[in-house]
Amino acid sequence: MILYFFIFVPILLGTLLYLIPRKEVKIIAFILQIFLLGLSIYNFIDISNNGDVIQVLGSNLAITGITLVCDQFSAALIILSAFIFLICYIFGLLDKFVNNLFIFLFIILQSLIMSIFLTRDLFNIYVLVEVSTIIVSVLIMFKKDSVSLYDGMVYLISNITAMTLFLFGVAILYKNFGVLDIDTIKLKMQYIEHSRSLILPFSLMITGIGLKCAFLPLFSWLPKAHATPSAPSIVSVILSGLYVKVGIYLFIRITDMYSPAINLNTVFLIVGILTSLVGIVFAFSQSDLKLILAYHTVSQLGLILMGISMGTITSYYGGVLHIFNHAMFKSVLFLCAGIIIDHYGTRDVYKIKGVFKNLPFVSIAMIMAILGITGAPFFNGSVSKYLIQGGAKNLIINSTIIIINLGTIISFIKVAKILKGSSGICILHVRWYKRVAVLLIGSMCLIMGLAGPLLVKGLFNYTIDMTFAIYIEKMIVYIVSLAIGYLLYNKVIHKLKFVREGISFDLGVNEISISMLAFFIFLVVTTYITLI
Amino acid sequence: MKEGKKINLLTAQNTAIVLFFIGFYGLCARRNIIKTIISLGIMGGGVILYFISINHQPNSMPPIMGEVGIVYADPLPQALVITAIVVGISVTAVALVMFISMYHTYGTTNWQKVKKMLNERKNK
Repeated sequence: MILYFFIFVPILLGTLLYLIPRKEVKIIAFILQIFLLGLSIYNFIDISNNGDVIQVLGSNLAITGITLVCDQFSAALIILSAFIFLICYIFGLLDKFVNNLFIFLFIILQSLIMSIFLTRDLFNIYVLVEVSTIIVSVLIMFKKDSVSLYDGMVYLISNITAMTLFLFGVAILYKNFGVLDIDTIKLKMQYIEHSRSLILPFSLMITGIGLKCAFLPLFSWLPKAHATPSAPSIVSVILSGLYVKVGIYLFIRITDMYSPAINLNTVFLIVGILTSLVGIVFAFSQSDLKLILAYHTVSQLGLILMGISMGTITSYYGGVLHIFNHAMFKSVLFLCAGIIIDHYGTRDVYKIKGVFKNLPFVSIAMIMAILGITGAPFFNGSVSKYLIQGGAKNLIINSTIIIINLGTIISFIKVAKILKGSSGICILHVRWYKRVAVLLIGSMCLIMGLAGPLLVKGLFNYTIDMTFAIYIEKMIVYIVSLAIGYLLYNKVIHKLKFVREGISFDLGVNEISISMLAFFIFLVVTTYITLI
Repeated sequence: MKEGKKINLLTAQNTAIVLFFIGFYGLCARRNIIKTIISLGIMGGGVILYFISINHQPNSMPPIMGEVGIVYADPLPQALVITAIVVGISVTAVALVMFISMYHTYGTTNWQKVKKMLNERKNK
């Protein structure tokens, strides 16, 4: 029964709260969040002790009914989503723009995200992602100014197109197998005679999900949606911290489903490397604080993709762990960016100065997140990056990961410069609950880093030995790359023309569709070649 | 004998695939926002046609159980298609509503012009 609670309680309560507009709505919504967090932790403990929970709707058989399956991975993702939504409520509940409509959309989005993590029915996934796309685009244009209207529209059209591709893939798959349940299809997949009949559905579905995960040619909607100027920072947090993980989660499930017949790990590894390099190059050249963070989401997603398609179990665990770590530090960074932008009235990193003096608490959280994202020892990013690196057998891949990390360090030196110095701007007081929210999630970066080996043991039942020597080694590598990064930034990159002026990669709807078509054709060709 | 070798290309599934890619072409090539939304509808239509033609057998009956010995149509695609139609309608409605408010701010139905106006505003 417990799995239904994650879906029905928020939807029913959210609708009810919208219909009864009273002042107490915010308190009830807050209590709901705490309830969901508690329930998700209970669910996780239950599953670690007693094994996976399977619940079938509509029929006695899993094949014909609609299944909700919760394994440890899903349960951990549900805890993550409950936690991040709770932080967002603490952060923004008393803000002016948070009205009943916003709370309604937020609660429904939460239950949709949770049910995507639970469902194993392909058509269900389509419907849930489609509805959440609509809600997200409404949230993007919530403040209804001209830029966000365009960004929300581009987001809506490109994502709906992607999901239509996905649905077409599901239709062809249904023709081949006669079922829609992911686990059953995976079982049947090994008996298929003509694996060429899977090329079309595979390419269609991966193109659709690839747009959700922002792979290389398909990422240009992401910075627009995640960093649109007027969107509230908690919306950015949900999008960048949590909602892109839905894409990665689906990617993991779908490639796992196809794994008996089609294995394109090498291709995705290359796509991942390119995605993260391109993300970093774009992040260098932005001066807009939120845009830098959004492009970093692209590059970290590339890193996650590298981890999960490296082919070794260690790096796979690293990639999955990086999903959680990235959610933590990206949420902190977006929340801090929101506070800073509100106070300084500008988004230009060259104009913001003296943040540490004016906003000490926010700065501490931000420093912890920056240490996390750049992979400093004892912080969470280092654990997952260490695992991803540990699985890389190839020297080229190993050095690529170090280069990507160096790039991350360089662009965060640019961000960290806003902390220095002093500015004469008269600063408003930051509300205490905002400080609590930011510090709470910021300290998670440190806690998850220190408890990294324990976390890996609890999540995957896999032991990593983090000896003192490894910490020392990582410390040295980090300090050396920090020094190189600092020198490179001040001596070379800072002076490059494209970094100064900024390059923009602003694709419209037509171009996004063309790149989707190109990615689709690329996938068809590569799958065809591998299957010969 | 000759007739047996003929391959009928004009099946519902092929039509569905062609419709789908016509819609995709519209998304790639048309700059008008309304035409973009229509193209999405065409793509959705192609998918729906594909779904209901999957296990189609001629002379099959609606899947209401009762009589024995009759060929029934596959009920699952039909149930899915109803949901897909509903989702498609609501997506079109939302997109059109968003388009209206976009039209009020920008005064144009052209993606390119909207982008140009945004860039001009940014440079100012």
